[in-house]
Amino acid sequence: MRVARRYAVPGVLVRRYAVPGMLVAVPVLLALVGPVIASDDTTKDVAFVLGGGHWFGTDFVGRDVWNEVLLGGRSLVVVAVVATVCTYLIAVPVGLVAGMTRNRLLDEAVMRPLDLLLAVPSMLMLLLLASVAPGIPWVLIGVVVLINLPDVVRISRAAALSVSARPAVEAMRLQGESRIRIGLGYVARAMRRTLAADLGTRFTGAIYLVASASFLGVGVSPQTSDWAAMVDRNRTGLFVQPWAVVLPALLIVMLSIGVNLAFDRWLRDRAMEGVAR
Amino acid sequence: MPYESVLNRRGFLGLAAAGATAAVLPGCAGETASSTGGQPRSGGRLRAAFAGGGAAEVLDPHKTSLYVEIARAKALFDKLADYGSDMTPQPRLAERWEPSADLRTWRITLRQATFHDGRPVRARDVLASFARIVEPGSTFRAKSSLAVIDLANSRAIDDRTVEFRLKRPYAEFPNALATIGTAIIPEGTTNFDRPIGSGPFKFSSFAPGRSFVATRNPDYWDGTPYLDELEIVVTNDEAARVNALLGRQVEYAHDLTPTSARTHEQSGQLQVHRLPLSNFQGLAMKVDRPPFNRPELRQALFHLVDRDELVRSVFQGSGQLCNDLYGKGYRYYAGSLPQRNQDLDRARALVKQAGAEGMTIDFDTSEASTGLKEAALAISDQARKIGLNLNVKLGTKDTYWADIAKNGVLASYRSGGMPLESHISQRLLTTSTTNNTKWQRPGFDALYYQAQSTTDEARRAELYLQIQQQLFDEGGFLWWGVSDWIVASASNVNGISAQAPANTLDWARYDKVWLA
Amino acid sequence: MTLPSYVARRTLLGVIQVPLVMCGVFFLAEALPGDAAVTIAGDNPDPAIIAVLRERLGLNEPAWHRLGDWLAAALHGDFGQSLVGPRSVVDIIASAAGPTLLLAGLTLVLLIPLSVGLGVLAANREGSRLDRLITSTTLGLYSAPEFAMGLLIVTVFAVQLRWLPPTAVGTSLLSNPAVLVIPVFVLLLRPICSLSRLIRAGMIDAQRSEYVRHVRRIGLSPTRVRFAHALPNAVTPAIQQLARTIDWLVGGVIVIEAIFVVPGLGTTLVQAVAARDLPVIQGLAVVFATTTVLVNLAADVAARVLSPTAEAGR
Repeated sequence: MRVARRYAVPGVLVRRYAVPGMLVAVPVLLALVGPVIASDDTTKDVAFVLGGGHWFGTDFVGRDVWNEVLLGGRSLVVVAVVATVCTYLIAVPVGLVAGMTRNRLLDEAVMRPLDLLLAVPSMLMLLLLASVAPGIPWVLIGVVVLINLPDVVRISRAAALSVSARPAVEAMRLQGESRIRIGLGYVARAMRRTLAADLGTRFTGAIYLVASASFLGVGVSPQTSDWAAMVDRNRTGLFVQPWAVVLPALLIVMLSIGVNLAFDRWLRDRAMEGVAR
Repeated sequence: MPYESVLNRRGFLGLAAAGATAAVLPGCAGETASSTGGQPRSGGRLRAAFAGGGAAEVLDPHKTSLYVEIARAKALFDKLADYGSDMTPQPRLAERWEPSADLRTWRITLRQATFHDGRPVRARDVLASFARIVEPGSTFRAKSSLAVIDLANSRAIDDRTVEFRLKRPYAEFPNALATIGTAIIPEGTTNFDRPIGSGPFKFSSFAPGRSFVATRNPDYWDGTPYLDELEIVVTNDEAARVNALLGRQVEYAHDLTPTSARTHEQSGQLQVHRLPLSNFQGLAMKVDRPPFNRPELRQALFHLVDRDELVRSVFQGSGQLCNDLYGKGYRYYAGSLPQRNQDLDRARALVKQAGAEGMTIDFDTSEASTGLKEAALAISDQARKIGLNLNVKLGTKDTYWADIAKNGVLASYRSGGMPLESHISQRLLTTSTTNNTKWQRPGFDALYYQAQSTTDEARRAELYLQIQQQLFDEGGFLWWGVSDWIVASASNVNGISAQAPANTLDWARYDKVWLA
Repeated sequence: MTLPSYVARRTLLGVIQVPLVMCGVFFLAEALPGDAAVTIAGDNPDPAIIAVLRERLGLNEPAWHRLGDWLAAALHGDFGQSLVGPRSVVDIIASAAGPTLLLAGLTLVLLIPLSVGLGVLAANREGSRLDRLITSTTLGLYSAPEFAMGLLIVTVFAVQLRWLPPTAVGTSLLSNPAVLVIPVFVLLLRPICSLSRLIRAGMIDAQRSEYVRHVRRIGLSPTRVRFAHALPNAVTPAIQQLARTIDWLVGGVIVIEAIFVVPGLGTTLVQAVAARDLPVIQGLAVVFATTTVLVNLAADVAARVLSPTAEAGR
């Protein structure tokens, strides 16, 4: 009851989510608003200088780092979010079905083709696809989804399996509840902690796949600015002009920690709510 | 799990043969500027870190194409000639050369030298080495350079005299003898697992893509090397090479970025050597197809490019601007032509004349070599100011050079140093094997052949000026700058030449290096 | 189904899977722009030389023909020669596998106890300051770019303080174990986070489950409940992640290998792809696919053993 009452107070809610909220809001706002306020002046200065009329110095080709940061968030946030969401939209239902079904053939029919995909070394897949179809964001999103799909399916299947073996599920089944109801109503809800723990890191992983892909020449064209690509392209100057790496890296770290913390908080609150009820 | 690749294959030497600093430094072969001075002393082991080619690396000196392979070949073998710091070919195993009056027969006298197994270097070894390179079906790099030799009619006059018969007059034939991949091997060699050469170091051990060890050849004809032992280790990551040097795991690191040089040169922990005139950077426009078949559009780019900005941002000051022509500072270079600068109004007018206002042109680039992509991005930004949209396309770096040879209209380009003659014969004649600008003009070819048929040095210089004036006015190459090649060494390493461009005689010349 | 027959069936599946993956990888690699002849020619793309090389390397044969030849030879244990160098595929892979396995093995030996320990610790004190500290530290490390971390650690501990060698250049890993310290440390950063998070989540779920509550009510000691009953149920999802981590350690640590100059399988892969060296790519794909099949089999078997109720229905 105490927990439930806390929710009635908006101030508490704000306080509980202030930190993760801030962590997420700053990079997301920069990503969304940045391209609007960025300047389109393209004059090049000396590469990797500190100061010299630039707030955060210049990057590997002498562009203004702050301007690049303003321009570089949108593509990254969009690709990482879309890829992660797509992965989960496909993987969780599949994993749920495979984990809950009592039909071994169905389980095998779902899992073995995925094993095939899993057995294709992901680095090899990225390298090959990067070279075959460079420069298209949808290809990049597709590759990130393909690489993560088997993992998430396996994890959700494993989670579903252990949940559906619980006596509660057994009881529901005996009471004649439909598979779908049990699946969505109980098993999926019980899996969410495992999945949320995975989702946060998966999102971060997607961001860095974007970075490696940009390095390999897929997804991010050299003309567009991108935080993940900045981290990679400017690394030679890490010790002369750290901002060109640190600033985008910091934004990525903020975004990643923010998303993960928000999920953790939300889960804990839901859990407490559940207990209180 | 996220994965990242950092293997930027910078190992390729590019379209390089050799080069030097004619006007700048009228020195001679073997001149080495020692860094801290003092009396050279013998002893010790030098470990040098290079970028490399992994498991595919070989010790066959005729198959060299990576810098690390050339450095190893240089330690074990000799060529007849090599490019000295004054740009002209310097005699090496050849003691001297004399052409006939028609420039079609060349008599080469060999130096008294021995291979590591004690056999003397004979005229027959020279003929056998060259025969191996040019035989039908071979794929050696130097094949096209040596194809001018009519081997069937060339002969060994005695053990130390070779007479080469050429298929055409060739005044600068010694250039061919100094080309990469023309090392002299003992006659009959087919296996290079334990190679035998005549070079300053003897083979000791080799693990492809990892390390190579060689020991001093006390009988070397050009003086006993100071070092007891030379070890060449391979790592493709530039940061790793720098760290290995800072961590005292190696004493010499090859091919650093200007950024690393700037970071560490002040600290006093290591010496940074900037080898000038090493790496030419430019654009290749294909003159045989739209839109660059319009000379006005090529000239528009000549006037568009802001060379100062490129040198500042791409080279970070480690280099100098060029005047659209290849070979700044080299012999026969047309230094008298006025330096071009950015002139946006003129460029705009030329674009208009070419009927290319607002045109979108694909601009190929890749990470096949440092700086290509950076320069392409900057030039594309500059072009926007005159209403040209150069659409930068990042190609696959592994196949880049073959891709731009065939396809596209505009591409980033680079070249190591080589004599003007080699640049022209390899890239600008109708018969050239890598004619990337598709510059194929019988009149231009004729000028080149005239220059190679005259024994008159002044006449040749004048012909070279005519050749370069044509290229300056409407050629397909736009060489905007030339960068230094950066190597670094521990503070106790002496005898590294700071003036020798990459691939010349004094570059990576470890027989003159000594440890204090 | 009994465990042995399960293992037998999965092994059989794996025997089919690996060649299928091979074919997929072969056609993907075929689709790459350019071929080995072009990469050998490199910056000197003389069409005549490329044509000769293509003929010599047999690249003019139809793709399916080459694939068939390769599969037939591979069945007899002959994985062929590298296209771009004089060495055999087996030789190249064998010499690269040593460093990779050493790094992977050491990392795993440290990773498993550390991530289990951190995960259980955080789960027991859920919501406490310790939990938050562990969760946010591991997350922060996970989100930081690994090569930046690698470079930073090298600069501080190897270049500035000179406590450890910065790279493994020119030495063998075994003769000079000090070179392994920094790479293994950097390799640990990310898997520790993803694994300990999954274990923490699984632990919290498991301790709330009816089964563990029941065991607790019986009066078993908390430690025994935690490690003998809750943990085995909690690690099932983590084991899947561990399998993926092993996969990654075997084939994907390209950054770490590059920064620390470890000539392992990841480096070999990048070089083989860059050189369009199909036999080496194929050989590596066999190694990686086999590893994947084996570790996933092991993971599934472990899941069955640790959490027998879950798979009992199968």
